[in-house]
Amino acid sequence: MSTLLFIIFAGMAIGCAIAMVSQSNPLYSAISLIGVFISLASIYVTLAAPFIAAVQVIVYAGAIMVLVIFVIMLLNVEHSEPRRKRLKFLVPMAIGMAAVLLAETVFILHSVQITENHPAANISDVGLTHSIGVGLFTGYLLPFEITSVLLLMAIVGAMSLARRTTILSATARVVPGSQVLAMDIVNPRGVEDLRMVETETTEEAAHLLGVDFHSERSERE
Amino acid sequence: MGPQLSWYLALSAVLFTIGAVGVIVKRNVIAMFMCIELMLNAVNLSFVAFSSFFQDVSGQLFVFIVMTVAAAEAAVGLGIIITIFRNRESLDVDDANILKL
Repeated sequence: MSTLLFIIFAGMAIGCAIAMVSQSNPLYSAISLIGVFISLASIYVTLAAPFIAAVQVIVYAGAIMVLVIFVIMLLNVEHSEPRRKRLKFLVPMAIGMAAVLLAETVFILHSVQITENHPAANISDVGLTHSIGVGLFTGYLLPFEITSVLLLMAIVGAMSLARRTTILSATARVVPGSQVLAMDIVNPRGVEDLRMVETETTEEAAHLLGVDFHSERSERE
Repeated sequence: MGPQLSWYLALSAVLFTIGAVGVIVKRNVIAMFMCIELMLNAVNLSFVAFSSFFQDVSGQLFVFIVMTVAAAEAAVGLGIIITIFRNRESLDVDDANILKL
């Protein structure tokens, strides 16, 4: 019975993974990846790890994939054009190196003894939430705390990365007096335009560059 | 007789290989990101299999920490992807060929 379940879910996982790689639309590959996560969660249940299975569904299939699909739909890129061919001479070299890697894998699989382990009876409490909690807060307390610091860093990093900077950012001001600024310093997208602008104030610079800028001072007036 | 430990390790290896091939083959940066998630999951599967077969809870604790790292990676990675797209109007990794935004 458990063999049948393993074969079903392993087949689902491999099929969904191959579908994910072969899809060209990122939205379809995201949905295939959710299939991989669900089948892996089912395998975790058969391995007597219910907590990890629940976290797999909630965190991976729930939170992370919702974030990924949100970004895919936000950016709304339809499909990539066929990539241009380049570095053609690398293709036979890649095939040769893949053959070497495959030969190494077959050698390792033949030379290593196949272990005859069986999973212990399901009466043990390994994998239950209780034993995982005890492990996290006793023997693995330091990794747990480091993980929390990592999450804090991720929050700060994501916010500072995704913050939308205006063309002239709120903290940037052209100091009164004669300033020489290249266009690509003020506007990162206009890399082609290298004309110099010489102004006295930020408003004047924005006006000369043809960008939209309203300082708080001009709004107050 | 249930499935052997080597079956789970073989499934993990297959999934990891598919993910690695995807990272190499794909050109869309979001698809590459999802292939990296697939590789993380393959490693998680081998951790859980070892933990279950050797009756040791440490493997599942590692899986817990790997999941946290994956969540942090998702947040920061998608932030980087959005910033690259905003500056380059493209998700092709070949277009992001200089090390600045």
